Amino acid sequence: MTTTTLPLRVPRRVSLPVPGIVVWLALVAVLPPVLSRAGLLSDVNALRLCAATAFAVAGLSLNLLMGYAGQISLGQYAFVGVGAFTTGLVTGVNDLRLPWLVGLLAAAAMGGLVAFVVGLPALRLRGLYLAVVTIGVAYAGYQSLFRVESIGGGSAGKPVPRPYVGDSAIATNADFLALALVVLVVVWQLDVNLCRSRFGRAFQAVKADEGVASSFGIDVARTKLLAFTLSGAMAGAAGAILGTAYGTVTGTVFRYEQSLLLVVVVVIGGLGSRAGVVGAAFFAILLPSVMIALFGEGIRGYDLVLNGALLMYTISRNPHGLAGAVREARDKRLERKGGLPPLPPTRPSLPALRPLSGAPPVRKPRAGVPVLEARDVSVRFGGLQAVDQASLRVDRGTIVGLMGPNGAGKTTLFNAVTGALAPDSGQVLFLGEDISALPPHVRAARGMGRTFQLIGLAKQQSVYENLLTAQHLGAAYGVGSALLGVGPSRWFERELRERADQVLEGLGFQRFRDTPVGRLSHGQQRIVEIGCCLVTSPELVMLDEPSAGMSPAAAEDLAQTLLDVRDRLGRTVLLIEHNVPLVLNTADELYVMDTGRVIADGEPVEVVTRPEVVRAYLGEVVA
Amino acid sequence: MGQVLVLGLIAGGIYALFAIGIVLVHRGTGVLNFAQGEIGTAALLVAYVVVHDLGAPWLVGALVAVVAAVLLGAGFEFAVVRRMISSDPVSTAVATVGLTLTLVSIEIIYVGDSGKVLDNPFDSGFTVAGVVVFPHQVLAVLVALALGFGLQRLLRRTDFGLGILAAAQDPDAVRLVGVPLSRVSLAVWGLGGALSGTAALLAEPTVGLITPGFASEFFVFGLAAAVIGGLGSLPGAVAGALALGVLEAAEQAYLPLDVPGERYLLLLAVVLVALLGRALGPELRSRFLGPARPAAAEVTA
Repeated sequence: MTTTTLPLRVPRRVSLPVPGIVVWLALVAVLPPVLSRAGLLSDVNALRLCAATAFAVAGLSLNLLMGYAGQISLGQYAFVGVGAFTTGLVTGVNDLRLPWLVGLLAAAAMGGLVAFVVGLPALRLRGLYLAVVTIGVAYAGYQSLFRVESIGGGSAGKPVPRPYVGDSAIATNADFLALALVVLVVVWQLDVNLCRSRFGRAFQAVKADEGVASSFGIDVARTKLLAFTLSGAMAGAAGAILGTAYGTVTGTVFRYEQSLLLVVVVVIGGLGSRAGVVGAAFFAILLPSVMIALFGEGIRGYDLVLNGALLMYTISRNPHGLAGAVREARDKRLERKGGLPPLPPTRPSLPALRPLSGAPPVRKPRAGVPVLEARDVSVRFGGLQAVDQASLRVDRGTIVGLMGPNGAGKTTLFNAVTGALAPDSGQVLFLGEDISALPPHVRAARGMGRTFQLIGLAKQQSVYENLLTAQHLGAAYGVGSALLGVGPSRWFERELRERADQVLEGLGFQRFRDTPVGRLSHGQQRIVEIGCCLVTSPELVMLDEPSAGMSPAAAEDLAQTLLDVRDRLGRTVLLIEHNVPLVLNTADELYVMDTGRVIADGEPVEVVTRPEVVRAYLGEVVA
Repeated sequence: MGQVLVLGLIAGGIYALFAIGIVLVHRGTGVLNFAQGEIGTAALLVAYVVVHDLGAPWLVGALVAVVAAVLLGAGFEFAVVRRMISSDPVSTAVATVGLTLTLVSIEIIYVGDSGKVLDNPFDSGFTVAGVVVFPHQVLAVLVALALGFGLQRLLRRTDFGLGILAAAQDPDAVRLVGVPLSRVSLAVWGLGGALSGTAALLAEPTVGLITPGFASEFFVFGLAAAVIGGLGSLPGAVAGALALGVLEAAEQAYLPLDVPGERYLLLLAVVLVALLGRALGPELRSRFLGPARPAAAEVTA
């Protein structure tokens, strides 16, 4: 606590510039009507801008899904269609005749509902299944449902009346443009709020690595479903704008190609950069008219060819989109300027943190009951018996080492214990309770923290952001509070930030606060990962080869840190290690595995001299 | 009943040809190729040019079209996929979205709204169970069956095939043992293109009109069939496609909804059910048959 704490600051993200949302709202509400009355904005151009605004909102919706949560929808424009027709049904003269705002909210609700239903099965699976389902949605929409008379209004289309202000409808396109832009700004702000909350961080964690995300207590399937539902709701709102701008919508507006064009917009815009996506959306929609004005009627249609080619070009050169390219260039420039900041003190002293106030109550361990017990756990991969009837016991307040040659099954046993994979047989007991049937994020919530052999941090995010993501369990607020950025989300986030700063200070990493983790050395990344594991103060800390990639001196310091974790913080540690001195200096008990079996356990110094252990490491002694 | 079966197999044969291409590229490169349909439509338009503008017979046009489809697939591999070796297959899948959009928009420019008619020699059919069956439809089913099982053998039994399978799982290791990775990738994408072209050529006479996005409308059924079959198995994809075709015909015969494009609603329902089964499968299995590990085969892209 000697160094001064940096002022608390929300992690830097693309957001509305300084003037704030109110100024923006006023600006977009006033500008179009004024411009049109001054003769600077024609009616046709105002309509084009309305369509572009709708496309931008749809772009933001897909950006949330692809750029943040890493899932792909190839039918996003179908959700725009759902929104447009819903608005028509709710506000139409021959339908419900409700106010436009109700129509807008209904459009968002319907878009979200449809997304929830079709995303439910696909998002429980890993992979591109959402893309497959959403192609189905795209076709089911424009080939079928949108052509049904009662939904799409048949060949005449569905009328979507303009909203009323007082007694008169907003008649001119420029006036409606003002309203459309207001919706864009509001959606943008909700999106910003959401992405700064635990949900946005969970999206990114899932995108980076689902296994690591669940070790932070993030329910991967639910997180993906939430991202898709909210994305569908945003697309629905885009539909309300589009439908109202046109006045009448037909199913053919929502063709499959439009969904593909949205993918182009999101990738070219930068996969995660809101400003880029909105800019790309306006570009994509206004491009055809600009091209026709410049080159004549013959050029019609070539804008899509250009966009498709642009997508192939962009993604093949920069899989993270343009935002990724910009970020890389910035990092390179930083590196040229002065490289990494100097090394922090090597012996971190972690703060003793209270349990997170928002975390689910953790059972207090009873005396005599081991923190962890694995009973006869077996895991088979095809023809390989990776773990064979392995049992181990970790008592409270101890450090237990797990050694063994490469391929002995240590990490596999770890994964079986944390729930990352389901064993073929055997039981795992945590604090005396059978947790064998629980998914990994629930085990994490019970107080199981872990690190990964290949470092489970989001490499592109800063140290600070990783520390916030790791505290997912402690932020017990809902989506509503996150979207609006008020209430519980504020209180909880304040606590999370304070803890992250405390850990940063304890690690001596204040100078690396905003450094992307990927730019730290391997050893430094290990320290950050241990910090992420400890920030939620889990009962059991499971470390998978924490000293790998560290210098011998750093490994010695690590040993001190581990003892500190046990003695001062009162935690229990299970440790996979190859570094024998480290294990001997820290462990109270040592298990040794070979070819999937536990071959020895007991007092560490004694265990390492047993002949079967020596044999496992060095082979048979030739007499 | 017989009629449903015949109609179903006719449709399923075409779906199977697309499904085989999807599974082949997915197993060979880990990439889900969303352009597997549109490469076929583009090839069809090449055939149209050869037959109508140059006056060549259909067979010549078809051969040129298949060659064009191979060139499209291989060209995409050469220009785009090759540069993405170090990125994950999901990004490559997104690149195929760009290819799809490019091809569809070129088709829109060339074809316009009306569509093109390609004359074909399959004008006389024979009647089976009250359905007039044309030779190209029989051909599609036979080619699908032959490729479904033939390619599976090729993949499993030959060094080249094993190289393809291994390349998708661990490109670095495959390169180290001396498999020419770029050649494997080029071959897979070229073959995928050929399958797309062949499928489109055999589907076209049944529809009789080439419109923009023509083959994608079959491709989505092929994709569903591939998902039903597990995305990893060629015979599974063929079986899935034939089953999907029969299911569609049965729905038309016994449960017509009288909704425009209801086959797409059925498609969506089938995909959702298939994925639900896949998602809940391990859970249900462990509940009734004891614990089992999660399915090893996952879509990586």
